[in-house]
Amino acid sequence: MSTPPTSLKPQLPLFLRPPLHSASVSDLRKWHDWAKNLASSVGTTFLDSDNGPDSDLLCRELKWLMEDAIEDHAVFSQMGIENNQTNVRLRMGIEELYNLWKQRIEERRPFQYLVGCEHWRDLVLSVQDGVLIPRPETELIVDLVADVVSNNEGLRGGLWADLGTGSGALAIGIGRILGSCGRVIATDLSPVALSVAAFNVQKYGLQDVIELRQGSWFKPLKNVEGKLAGIVSNPPYIPSDNIPRLQAEVGRHEPRLALDGGLNGMDDLLHLCNGAALMLRPGGFFIFETNGEKQCKSLAKYIENDIRGSFHSLDIVSDFAGIQRFLTGLHQ
Amino acid sequence: MLNSKLRKSCRSSTISLQNPKISYLLSSFSHKSTETPSGSCQFSHSAPENRISPSWFCSNSLPSIKNPNGFHQNPLFSSLSESKNPISASGSSSSRPNFSGFCSNSLPNIKKPNGFHQIPLFSTLSASGSSSNSLPSSKNRCQSHQSPVIWTQSHYFSTEAVVEPSTTDGLTVEGIMASNWTILDESESDWRSHAAAVAQSIHLIKKRLKWKKLVVRLDMLSMQLNKPDIWDDPVHAGKISREHGTLMGKMKEVRSFERELLEHIDMIKLAHEENDVELESESLKALHRMRKNSKEKELQAMLAGEQDPCSCYIEVQAGAGGTESMDWAAMVMQMYKLWAQQRRYKVTVVDEMPGEIAGIKRATIKVDGEYAFGYAKAEVGVHRLVRISPFDSNKRRHTSFAAVAVIPIMGDGSTRVQINESDLRIERFRAGGAGGQHVNTTESAVRIVHIPTGVTATCQNERSQHQNKASAMAVLQSRLDQLEMARQAQMNALHTQSLTDITWGSQIRSYVLHPYRMVKDLRTGYEVSDPDSVLEGDLDGFIMSYLSASLDKDVDDQ
Ligand SMILES: C[S@@+](CC[C@H](N)C(=O)[O-])C[C@H]1O[C@@H](n2cnc3c(N)ncnc32)[C@H](O)[C@@H]1O
Repeated sequence: MSTPPTSLKPQLPLFLRPPLHSASVSDLRKWHDWAKNLASSVGTTFLDSDNGPDSDLLCRELKWLMEDAIEDHAVFSQMGIENNQTNVRLRMGIEELYNLWKQRIEERRPFQYLVGCEHWRDLVLSVQDGVLIPRPETELIVDLVADVVSNNEGLRGGLWADLGTGSGALAIGIGRILGSCGRVIATDLSPVALSVAAFNVQKYGLQDVIELRQGSWFKPLKNVEGKLAGIVSNPPYIPSDNIPRLQAEVGRHEPRLALDGGLNGMDDLLHLCNGAALMLRPGGFFIFETNGEKQCKSLAKYIENDIRGSFHSLDIVSDFAGIQRFLTGLHQ
Repeated sequence: MLNSKLRKSCRSSTISLQNPKISYLLSSFSHKSTETPSGSCQFSHSAPENRISPSWFCSNSLPSIKNPNGFHQNPLFSSLSESKNPISASGSSSSRPNFSGFCSNSLPNIKKPNGFHQIPLFSTLSASGSSSNSLPSSKNRCQSHQSPVIWTQSHYFSTEAVVEPSTTDGLTVEGIMASNWTILDESESDWRSHAAAVAQSIHLIKKRLKWKKLVVRLDMLSMQLNKPDIWDDPVHAGKISREHGTLMGKMKEVRSFERELLEHIDMIKLAHEENDVELESESLKALHRMRKNSKEKELQAMLAGEQDPCSCYIEVQAGAGGTESMDWAAMVMQMYKLWAQQRRYKVTVVDEMPGEIAGIKRATIKVDGEYAFGYAKAEVGVHRLVRISPFDSNKRRHTSFAAVAVIPIMGDGSTRVQINESDLRIERFRAGGAGGQHVNTTESAVRIVHIPTGVTATCQNERSQHQNKASAMAVLQSRLDQLEMARQAQMNALHTQSLTDITWGSQIRSYVLHPYRMVKDLRTGYEVSDPDSVLEGDLDGFIMSYLSASLDKDVDDQ
């Protein structure tokens, strides 16, 4: 079902690559000490300039990088430090490790792109340049959908859509909580995103549950008009003029297509609301992630005033940082 | 094989089939027998993996029956339900209230009981075949079980266990103690010395188990169980029956150890008379083995606390003093990781906050395995280090502190505190800025606040927020459980000496690396001149001396 509509070959996340390289324990230590020094030298400069990572966080990332790169990390972490010439098998050459960590610190390349994966909910999703790294906030969408379907068999066994699926995070999270009849169509405009999503769908064995389609928002969904049990989306919602001031990891490295929501960030959200009124079946559920209180409220107002009669039970839900993050509602 | 025999015998008993109370008893019985058909062999032949694995004497190693699912998985139970559902047959609408009712009391749920001795019914029955052999044969057990009216036999048992074993010429353990035989070094081949050492151990074990109180309590429980209307209140009856079984199990273990000792003495005397050198040397070896084992048993008798068999969290927090203390905290944490690994416990890092330059500000590990809490609780308190600081370019001497807390992880049984979602506030830890698409961070820690108690838990070591939340929930659950246990303990005068203080405690141990080298426990005076071995996890000496000191000071408690 989910053959990617493109022939792009996604990169394998580091932790899944074969351990074709090796280095001595002492060389690895040397690299580690160098990397740790580099991380420590950052202090709070990134934090102060654009809310980036501080050295604490970078040190933890370094630990995770080691976990992903070293084949038998548990053994390694118990080995003696001094002058140990034992060889350790690696999933990446040590030169590349130097290279990557330099990119992390000097170019602010996101950690998740270095290791090619992001741990999200109980999933480990493959990610790479060109695909948005799924955010912790977005995890909550799956919980909220789980709540909704837990007492609604019709929705649990229905057809869902994840619009702008990126790495496939939401589609996979939801695909795993739907009933045996439940299906998800996941769309994206970006071919890279779709190839990565296909990889992830495959990894979790959901090829029969999730179908990937390429195209802009509802365009690839013409044949299911009025049939969707639920729509979820985390569309680009950052106002265009915020883009130049984003945290370096985001602004310099993540795809603009995934972030830029137009003048006030609402272009795609408004489009989705209008489309949802058409695409959802009666009683169908929607949830959209937004930039925060302002977007949630104006979206709710838009729905109540401009497309009145389409939806009911609108609700604004906060994320764990207390920011009003999600708008949910039911189709009439 | 034993199990299938049992099944058959149980099926043939119509009462068992129709009475849920009996099915419960039978099911726990069969459950255990299935796991360790070798029975009390474990006791005398024990060669556990953990050097000091207290598979016996634990007051709490009851089979897990709190969890109704676990119960249904029980092989015997399912065989019963195949033929006839024992629950519906009794007219009760659901098994759950019944069975959870058995456990709503203070008995904790142990997931992997590893000795069958503690099974209430089993011990009761096996004793009725009053074999002088310290290893009751499985045949005996089966025969007893064929009796349809099982619990009424309990009075056979309590009397049997109380009878003081003796040699053919009337020598008892107390008699050996009174004879004041000289105890020589273990390497000396002197049977009297070995026997006296073992007798001394048995004496100590009895003291630790509060033997006299045990006997009185057991009598009382037996009396109650013999009342014909006891099962009119199945919850109460289940509780009594379980406690009776637990205590009986403990007592039986000591008795059989005692009997084993006296049998070997008989053998040695016999060998003497008959000039049988081979028999004599064999018995001597056996005594020597017993002597070695007895040390272990002494230690195991110390872990009779309700929460002792639990897994636990160990938390280490750096004291004041910056990098120096953070480095020390990391060393202490490493010491526990190595200790736990040596004991073959599973170690997982739950939360770790690294220091800026070195070490950790604080960290929490989860130590999974039987009796992890029982041992680790001895480490609660402040640990002090004196050394030449590696961070001080002037090579000055520094003193650093790290605090250690230990929290038991209760099983899934009904002793666990019910947490209401609505009582929780879940917060992003170190949240800042607009969040969402604006931010890319690997920081996904959450803090969970239990609003009614103010207890909080944080986890930031997992790589996703979801997982951090799950881990933090587990920590929160344990904290609340511990709080609840402490509350219950306060209400229950019997438990006042429990060691479950949630606070970090005061300074307990000093590690000096300079100008001399020594680790000394301030509570017991126990000391070691090789700090490296201690920091590599060689902690058992400290733990055991503390546990025994805290238990044995109660002299007249026997
Ligand atoms: C903020 S990302 C969300 C990705 C993913 N759902 C997640 O939560 O991690 C927005 C996604 O929408 C996609 N997108 C942007 N414009 C789109 C369009 N016109 N039609 C479909 N998808 C689009 C982007 O490629 C990107 O993958």
